[in-house]
Amino acid sequence: MPNASDTERTLVAAATAPAGRRVPARAVRMLAFTVCAALILSWPGLAPNPYILSAGVMVASYACTATAWNFMGGFTGYVSLGHAAFFGLGAYGTGVLIRDLDWPPFAAWLAAGVIVVLITVPVGIAALRVRGASFVIVSIAFVLILLLVAQTWQDLTGGSDGLVVPRPFPDLSRPEHHRAFFYLFVALLAVMLLAWWAIDRSRFGTGLKAVREDEDKAQALGVPTRNYKLVAYLISAFFTGLSGGMYALWFGDLDPIFQFSVLLGAYMVLMALLGGVRHLYGPLLGALIVGGALEYFELEFGGTQLHLVAAAVLLGVVVLVTPDGIIPAVRDLVRRFGPQDSSIREMTAAELLAHNRASGRGGPPPDEAPDEAAAPGTGEER
Amino acid sequence: MTAHEPPRSLETVDLTKSFGGVRAVDGATVTFRHGRINALIGPNGSGKTTFFNCVTGMIRPDAGTVTYRGQQITGRPPHRIARAGIGRSFQLCRVFPRMTVLENMLVAVRPAGLRDLVGGAGSPAETDKARRLLVRVGIDHLENVEAANLSYGQQKLLELAGVLMGDPDTIMLDEPAGGVNPALIGRIGTLIRELNDEGKTFLVVEHNMDMVMSLSHHVVVFDRGRPIAEGTPSAVRADPRVLEAYLGI
Repeated sequence: MPNASDTERTLVAAATAPAGRRVPARAVRMLAFTVCAALILSWPGLAPNPYILSAGVMVASYACTATAWNFMGGFTGYVSLGHAAFFGLGAYGTGVLIRDLDWPPFAAWLAAGVIVVLITVPVGIAALRVRGASFVIVSIAFVLILLLVAQTWQDLTGGSDGLVVPRPFPDLSRPEHHRAFFYLFVALLAVMLLAWWAIDRSRFGTGLKAVREDEDKAQALGVPTRNYKLVAYLISAFFTGLSGGMYALWFGDLDPIFQFSVLLGAYMVLMALLGGVRHLYGPLLGALIVGGALEYFELEFGGTQLHLVAAAVLLGVVVLVTPDGIIPAVRDLVRRFGPQDSSIREMTAAELLAHNRASGRGGPPPDEAPDEAAAPGTGEER
Repeated sequence: MTAHEPPRSLETVDLTKSFGGVRAVDGATVTFRHGRINALIGPNGSGKTTFFNCVTGMIRPDAGTVTYRGQQITGRPPHRIARAGIGRSFQLCRVFPRMTVLENMLVAVRPAGLRDLVGGAGSPAETDKARRLLVRVGIDHLENVEAANLSYGQQKLLELAGVLMGDPDTIMLDEPAGGVNPALIGRIGTLIRELNDEGKTFLVVEHNMDMVMSLSHHVVVFDRGRPIAEGTPSAVRADPRVLEAYLGI
């Protein structure tokens, strides 16, 4: 599967290497993709007991939320710590539609996703008026407000007593239930990855990345940044809402303190940052590591707060060691110890010379070869 | 204005913008005519960049109007103004550092509504156009390199090519010669002149007087947020008010 960063990864190679060398790289990538996909799909068969299987479902749900977050955070660089708001809205929307209106579970699930989008429109218009740290604060405020609403509005949400969501497959045994939802989460994740990939290569995606790099400049080049950001925010909210709804159907018991939790939003950010926000599989990799670790700590140390300490340490390590995430860091390592390409600077200087001679134009080289460039056609201005 | 002058391109009337107590642009009324290379000069802090930002919509002016080819564009969002035909570069060059040179170019492709969500970043025709512009400025061999890895001069050329990608009629350049070596200054000057021959109107903020005097048809001198003199380069150079404001003589 071609991905987010073909262009980045082959940055040097594309400029310098003969085209033939890229074919094996593509084959290797296809192989890696197939192996990883097969491993993920065979997890329910590999899991030794239902508890481990359910941990796998949890990790899959983390992978969904982190990837959903990345539609906003990765493309536009707007870091939202409040994405749990969409998760909670999706979860409660699904639960309430089933409980009060008797909707079929998966119709309720989809409808809840749409409701999340409708609620997000005004919120996004307001929140996206600010940038940087201010946006982070606004996003946190949103989830805290919803937490209070969900706790107080007892009639609708059940408040702190919780809301029990009827199980969609009442006939399944518990392990079968976990297995079914593992595949449902993976299917949802696959849809998200496909959407992310399509956006990444689209004109819309190019505009969003330009916003991430330099929003003013993007505007000056004619990118309708406000609309683009809002659409990205809505897509991100939609998928986060669907993840929340799926969680509600799987877990079956909702409590505001866990659904509208700033911590959950922070995990999404941590996972995406750890794997690499500019990469298609970054959030997925981050979710495997962080989600796996969280489940491990839960198993080993039970109710202690040790998992929080571990998450904090991990965040520190990410920021200090691999600010761009694991995937770019590993890629750089491979490139450093792999077959040596000439550095970009060397190549360009050499190519520049050849280029100039070939085209017979004296002008171009800005810094590399000023002497040569100074000759024709420049005297008159000075 | 006499009858044989070219039509008005960009006009401002009483344009004003204050930051705190400072009037960065203070009632500036200026007319730039079509097809010319116009230069905007003035001492540091005379409001040239703020004037630029007000015209291109990056900053909303407190008062006054901006008219482009007879159309009011005051206070419109920047992307609309860009779409209306005004392209701009930034003081201290700005590119998208972690996107490739070609991606940098494709950012300026005109959005096509919902079709933006699917399909590639640029149609074959648009990609071709981007490559032709890169050839024109001489950095086509770098199209797959991330912009952060370009030299400063190459980034300047990329920025100019990116502006051209949007097919602007009027090109506003904020210090195109700032921080680049003499050879490249000459090259950028040649590009500006060629583009002007093709019908593009220029509005250039510049401190390099050699470049301004050799290149421009019309010079506007700013001081304390408003124009204090304008005319041909030689006329402006001889104007005592300019000498006083600009050179402090």
